[in-house]
Amino acid sequence: MANPFSTTLRVWQAIFLQEALVRLFGVRAAWAWLVVEPAAHIGFMSLLWVAMRRGNMDGADLALWIAIGMLAFFLFRRTAIQAMHAIDCNKPFFAFRQVRPFDAAFVRAGLEAFLMVFISLFIFIIAAFTGRDPLPHDPLLLIASAGGLWLFGLGYGMTASVIMRLAPETTHILEILMMPLYLISGTIIPLSSIPLPYRDWLLVNPLAHGLESARASFFATYHVVPGVSLEYLCLWALCSVCLGLALYRVYETRLVMQ
Amino acid sequence: MIVVEDVHKRYTTRQGAGDWVLRGVNLRIPTRRSVGLIGANGAGKSTLLRIIGGADYPTKGRIERRCRVSWPMGNGGLEGTLTGRQNAKFICRIHGHHDDLPERLERIQDFAELGAAFERPVQTYSSGMRSRLQFALSFAFDFEVYISDEVTSAGDASFRKKASDAFRKLAWRSSIIMTSHDEASLKTFCQSGIWLTGGRALWFDEIDDALRAYKASTA
Repeated sequence: MANPFSTTLRVWQAIFLQEALVRLFGVRAAWAWLVVEPAAHIGFMSLLWVAMRRGNMDGADLALWIAIGMLAFFLFRRTAIQAMHAIDCNKPFFAFRQVRPFDAAFVRAGLEAFLMVFISLFIFIIAAFTGRDPLPHDPLLLIASAGGLWLFGLGYGMTASVIMRLAPETTHILEILMMPLYLISGTIIPLSSIPLPYRDWLLVNPLAHGLESARASFFATYHVVPGVSLEYLCLWALCSVCLGLALYRVYETRLVMQ
Repeated sequence: MIVVEDVHKRYTTRQGAGDWVLRGVNLRIPTRRSVGLIGANGAGKSTLLRIIGGADYPTKGRIERRCRVSWPMGNGGLEGTLTGRQNAKFICRIHGHHDDLPERLERIQDFAELGAAFERPVQTYSSGMRSRLQFALSFAFDFEVYISDEVTSAGDASFRKKASDAFRKLAWRSSIIMTSHDEASLKTFCQSGIWLTGGRALWFDEIDDALRAYKASTA
């Protein structure tokens, strides 16, 4: 009756339900903040660009360009942060032998993807009401870029959580790192506005490739920055997930030990 | 049977590796024989229970559980910010009782007798209330060996009686491995004893002999 696979599945189910409850109703109106935070962010940044007399980003609608970039970046950041803190937030549950650290990280990342789908839908509906066309012209490319960003978030989060556990001092660095990543990934400043030798340096960052691909999937007329490749992001995503899994394997007992 | 083979354990803190708490514990604990773990404060009783229950791992050595062993009651397992009911739901689900969840919850609620507190966060519970919930939770599932760290002695008199009655009903198929500073509850629950001293374990077939040996060492 209890084969390892079904045990794992029911642990995932239990963690998912428990985490969803905390995420949606943990603090007052937590579910509302999930949407309000990115919406306010997108609205403010659009306003800022409009104030600078810009209505169009390399052939894409400005507000939509920002919305897609932000949602794509948040998909990565939220997944990474949730996976990063999966172990400390579920500490008491590791008293049960069937709950492994990977279960917590994976389910939390999955929940974040699930929530981001709904948040994005909501924001695109707002965009449609304000007279924009929020339908992707290449849905497969969108799924691939979102998948790559999510997977990289999971890999980053898992790797970071092990590093944090082995050297708690690094927590600050790993969290502060999100700020420059936000700025250099082309979330609010278009990469095309950066002069050439430096732009190629920024393209070392795999997130930039994910964000640009996500934008390209929406607008048929968008001028993608040369050198963007989805494969590059996917390679990073795969490597980071493999590294994360390997670290979890090696330090499995250390992660939950006292 | 639970096989404990040459188990060593020390905790690593920021100051580096600590002293050895367990230094080579060898035990074969038969099922259907309830065992009381005795020893001074800091002798490693909770550590050994956590390792047997699988909530922690030996630094060296290994452990083999050839029967269904519960998680260690009394150490973790409850998330403070969640209510008693939410914790109970989580534990039921990971033990594969998603479909008969309402009945299980009712059983747990009846046994724990927490009243309205069942709907309040566990961090607001007193230690007695926590123990009642812990006890009710693990008795909601069929284990062959239950592991209890001070849980049985933490409740009030009426709960202790209820717990020992419930346990007596299960005694034909289950046993308990427990620690307690209360001699009476050790004698109520256990037949055999393990005395932890100097990081090693000594087995006594009779709990009375174990208690006598322990007392003689402190006298």
